[in-house]
Amino acid sequence: MCGAPWLVLSARCPGGLAPSRMPEIRVTPLGAGQDVGRSCILVSIAGKNVMLDCGMHMGYNDDRRFPDFSYITRNGRLTDFLDCVIISHFHLDHCGALPYFSEMVGYDGPIYMTHPTQAICPILLEDYRKIAVDKKGEANFFTSQMIKDCMKKVVAVHLHQTVQVDDELEIKAYYAGHVLGAAMFQIKVGSESVVYTGDYNMTPDRHLGAAWIDKCRPNLLITESTYATTIRDSKRCRERDFLKKVHETVERGGKVLIPVFALGRAQELCILLETFWERMNLKAPIYFSTGLTEKANHYYKLFITWTNQKIRKTFVQRNMFEFKHIKAFDRAFTDNPGPMVVFATPGMLHAGQSLQIFRKWAGNEKNMVIMPGYCVQGTVGHKILSGQRKLEMEGRQLEVKMQVEYMSFSAHADAKGIMQLVRQAEPEAVLLVHGEAKKMEFLKQKIEQEFRVSCYMPANGETVTLPTSPSIPVGISLGLLKREMVQGLLPNTKKPRLLHGTLIMKDNNFRLVSSEQALKELGLAEHQLRFTCRVHLHDPRKEQEMALRVYSHLKSILKDHCVQHLPDGSVTVESILVQAAAHSEDPNTKVLLVSWTYQDEELGSYLTSLLKKGLPQAPS
Amino acid sequence: MAPTVRSAWIQGLHSLAQHPGALGFLADLGAVDRLLTLQGDPSLFVVTAAGQLLVHVLGLALHNCGPPCGPPLDPQWPLLASSLLAQLEEALQPASTPQLLQALGVLTNAFTSCPAPWAPALWGRLRPAMTCLLEGQPLQAPHALGDLLLAVARSPEVVVDLGPWEMLALVLGRLEPSQGGQLALGVLQLPECPQALRAQAFGVLLQPLTCVLSTSTDAPGLQELPPSAVGGSASLDLLLASRSACVGLLCCALARLALLPPLPWRPSPWPQAFLLGAVVAVLRSCNGHVPISAAGGRLCAALVGCERVQRAALDLLGALAQDAGPPELVLEVCGVLLEHVDSPDSSPTVLKKAFQASLTWLPHADKKPHPCGLQVPAQLFLPELLQVLRKRLCSPSWEVRDSGLEFLTQAASLWAGQADFRQMLQASEVPPLARQLLRDPESYVRASAVIAVGQLSSGGLWAHPGDQQGSPLEGLLDMLDTDPDAFPRRAILQVLTAWLRDTHGPLAAHPEPLLARAFQAAGRDPDWEVRARGLELAREFLVQTLGRIGVPCPYVPTPLLDTPPADTQALHPACRTRLFEFVFPALFDYDRPVARAACELLLLLRAQTTTCATPPQAGDTPDPATVEAALHCWRTGEAGRPLGELVPQAVLAVLQALDLDDLRGTLADGSDHAEKSPLSLLQDMLAAAGAQGHNQVDCY
Repeated sequence: MCGAPWLVLSARCPGGLAPSRMPEIRVTPLGAGQDVGRSCILVSIAGKNVMLDCGMHMGYNDDRRFPDFSYITRNGRLTDFLDCVIISHFHLDHCGALPYFSEMVGYDGPIYMTHPTQAICPILLEDYRKIAVDKKGEANFFTSQMIKDCMKKVVAVHLHQTVQVDDELEIKAYYAGHVLGAAMFQIKVGSESVVYTGDYNMTPDRHLGAAWIDKCRPNLLITESTYATTIRDSKRCRERDFLKKVHETVERGGKVLIPVFALGRAQELCILLETFWERMNLKAPIYFSTGLTEKANHYYKLFITWTNQKIRKTFVQRNMFEFKHIKAFDRAFTDNPGPMVVFATPGMLHAGQSLQIFRKWAGNEKNMVIMPGYCVQGTVGHKILSGQRKLEMEGRQLEVKMQVEYMSFSAHADAKGIMQLVRQAEPEAVLLVHGEAKKMEFLKQKIEQEFRVSCYMPANGETVTLPTSPSIPVGISLGLLKREMVQGLLPNTKKPRLLHGTLIMKDNNFRLVSSEQALKELGLAEHQLRFTCRVHLHDPRKEQEMALRVYSHLKSILKDHCVQHLPDGSVTVESILVQAAAHSEDPNTKVLLVSWTYQDEELGSYLTSLLKKGLPQAPS
Repeated sequence: MAPTVRSAWIQGLHSLAQHPGALGFLADLGAVDRLLTLQGDPSLFVVTAAGQLLVHVLGLALHNCGPPCGPPLDPQWPLLASSLLAQLEEALQPASTPQLLQALGVLTNAFTSCPAPWAPALWGRLRPAMTCLLEGQPLQAPHALGDLLLAVARSPEVVVDLGPWEMLALVLGRLEPSQGGQLALGVLQLPECPQALRAQAFGVLLQPLTCVLSTSTDAPGLQELPPSAVGGSASLDLLLASRSACVGLLCCALARLALLPPLPWRPSPWPQAFLLGAVVAVLRSCNGHVPISAAGGRLCAALVGCERVQRAALDLLGALAQDAGPPELVLEVCGVLLEHVDSPDSSPTVLKKAFQASLTWLPHADKKPHPCGLQVPAQLFLPELLQVLRKRLCSPSWEVRDSGLEFLTQAASLWAGQADFRQMLQASEVPPLARQLLRDPESYVRASAVIAVGQLSSGGLWAHPGDQQGSPLEGLLDMLDTDPDAFPRRAILQVLTAWLRDTHGPLAAHPEPLLARAFQAAGRDPDWEVRARGLELAREFLVQTLGRIGVPCPYVPTPLLDTPPADTQALHPACRTRLFEFVFPALFDYDRPVARAACELLLLLRAQTTTCATPPQAGDTPDPATVEAALHCWRTGEAGRPLGELVPQAVLAVLQALDLDDLRGTLADGSDHAEKSPLSLLQDMLAAAGAQGHNQVDCY
């Protein structure tokens, strides 16, 4: 690595002095900035540095596969710079670089994710590692042991549980839909906060619910924007289309291959087919890659609370993930005559069982392959989706005669859903990631217009800096609080109110104490400060009579206050003192001397203005 | 223009600038000026790429003109290099912070890549600007400045000059002790460096720990320290200013110190006792032991339960195990390690590090040979450690159970030969517990339990060798058939291979029926790594039955000269285990590493058997059509056995029928060659261009 600017993160003194608490939030995407794939976003908030997701790019098998972590710090250990890593969900474009980052680059700090993500993540990482080592012959790659060691650093979190990363930094997970265990995370330091959505879905699907977040009003909402310009058609239409195509193929005796990843969309499609097969009383066999059905079933049972309401409700009578029509697949079934539907991994036809089956079935035009998700460049899935019909595989030409269909079942929020989330969270600013630049531009304008907030869309490597109001914590003395309580006013975050006290700054701390305590602590004597004012009134009567009239007048108006007429002729209202005196030059004019302490400034001012209006006419 | 386009433009220029002739062209087009402008780009990637290219251009320009001419410190500079350096020098102004940082970064890298004869001249040229920078108040970009000085100091041609050392000392002196740690570490990592500067740097690193020790009443080894390490109450106040400050400072100091013990030129005298005392004090504070002093109380309040500090301190403690220390301190180290392993508050990551550090410290507890076996500290430490381990193996957290098993495996492999250790381990309940964990719900733990059980069996560490609730071997073979996860199955084959290598291991007597089961299970395993490990086992078995076979040494003309060629009789044990029914189909395994391993194995076998003295007799050998049918059957993964039970003659016939060399060539190609070939890429690009506008972004 060469060059200079590795100041992506908060300028934490390498020696560990108190982090410089700049009143700003900085965000730098190392991946997912105007880009889909390899999510990795660095956030600095109030001196804390957090990495959001640590994904890999499936399309590359060189250095570009993982984010370039050398930008985080040129000097010192990553662990000393990063306070934590947060993984939003188990898809590899969000967690695929994690073992590399923790075991090969050397991050040794905590990694936060939800319980289902913690359980499923190592399975996908292991799957990915095996394919990389098997198919691509990669020697310098993370090992199974590294995946395990990495997973040992994971701290699993529950939804809505506030987790203290340290004294100042706290995180909280919210349900994101998308896949089992996917979460949005709120990152909070003092009064400053950022919400990162990861991938989310604002409409419930067959097995998961819709994303939800409370009105947390973060300083910044970092949201995915995969479908930034799309208002997606009804899911029912896509489902009907999918079932129709599968049914037609099976009816004419063809075989249907559905390449999927082990967990996630596969279960959604399985539920769909299972229900359809049951309803239509179809007999053609449906198979799922060996071992994975059991595993998937196990996790869906284990984390049933993460599924949607319908599945949870019916779980007691019938587990939706225990399929009657879907059986485990055996390699020997590939050559069986007659129709069948096979779910096989991996999802991009780049290796393994799905590719093996594809090679056998590709030459028959009766057969069909349905790609239910994105395929990166270089994979067979990408090639056939882009229309290539002649493929060279392992030295042989393969002619693809089978039908190729693409049906998007990926569970992302569309433009409407993104707007809905922004409305729900009420952020002060929005930052778009995980999308295409052109489409982001459109959504950015829409957000700025509708919500009147700034919207950013940094490219990878660009830093967005957002100024924030600095938060200065102030301790309040127990005495002062008790005094407030005596007045019967309990503290209420929704109804802020004034609290008078003396602010003491000592040992880098701010404390609000009563003035008596402040005097005591600082060893100072008390001085009374009084405001005074003279009010001239035209009245020929004597001073004592005048004072009595003032007393009667105030007594009739200030009913809630204690108004007293003292033996020396003066009138008091709380700390306010009113004395009547003769004018030195004009005997028909009397002077009212009004004085009050700063505590009663409001009342003093009111009273003065009242007296200036004159006294009511005395009854004759 | 998108930053990706700017990055790509720079990459394009970088490709162009590989030839000296291109330099003039680039300079004439103003590309160098543009690169300098791009040093202020909002994208880090662009800035970095531009910086890299500037360094490359400077290096190439200097290479191009040969060694410097003229006075050594003021030679005739090539025009391009001179103008580039002039612009960088201009940026070395105290007032221009962003440009200053970029310029310092480029110059730092320039020092590492410029031709050696030019380094003194470059230093001579930069020195005035650097001196000026160092005089600035406050010191600008101290870390980048330190990096540049370190790069200069690493250049052997420059270090004859005292300049960089003096400047390094100056920068180190002007940085707050809490800020100078990284630079101090850089100085200490220099193989050659003036002693005074080294002591100054070491002092900076030690200072936080001095503060820690000063809070306790007994501070061992303080007299060993350089004076710069002893900070006053101001340093202590700084350390204790806030919890996050204290944690950050200590973590950095501990992590940096952990890098020093392995260095051959580490500071001498090395304050081992002091460091041990300080780390023990830190760990004790983390566990809530409050030193008597008021500052100690504040320190403890800041550190109690802090995992970050615990992890860093345990890492340093592990690194310090390279040397021992005074026996009383070793005892204290063992005590604090035990505390951490035992504490219910220790997180799984802390616990893992505590186990690792215990492993490094146990030998010190037993440094000198003792007539009875282990030394006193180990005799005290180990039983307690095993007691805690027993508890940890029952932890509800899989991470903890797994780390416990890993510790057990390593301890058993290190000290299986120690009578005391054997006795203590056998007396503990640890071995049966490890065996119980073969049924753990977590696959990682089951795999670790398999390895641990394998190690205990190899070392004969079961409590009662004659009565072990049956041999673990049967249980492992059952697991190989039934375990739903691949990790334990892989571990079982790894253990079986290790046992087979060990002539006294559990597989020493009558291995054939057991191996037959293992090969059968491996052959039908859905995980390719299990099948690959099965092939390792097969290879080991062949080595034992056929004599030494291995990778032929290219420098030995007849690699197997001392090994008589195997005759067909030697293949009988392998045939009885049905090894070839596993290996031949593996040759056509869909997963390439399996096919490759099978191919390599058969090539070695062929080399061993082609010189077979007795040619196969007519009638014993299957006819070519049957062999071909068998090959077809294996290739397509069909069931059925055209060759019947594979006997040695049939094996040899198949070996001869196979074109293994050709197969090896095919298997050597990565299966992603379709992705990499220019034709494939072109097809992708054309297809993508055709489909532009229709494709919708999608992802998982």
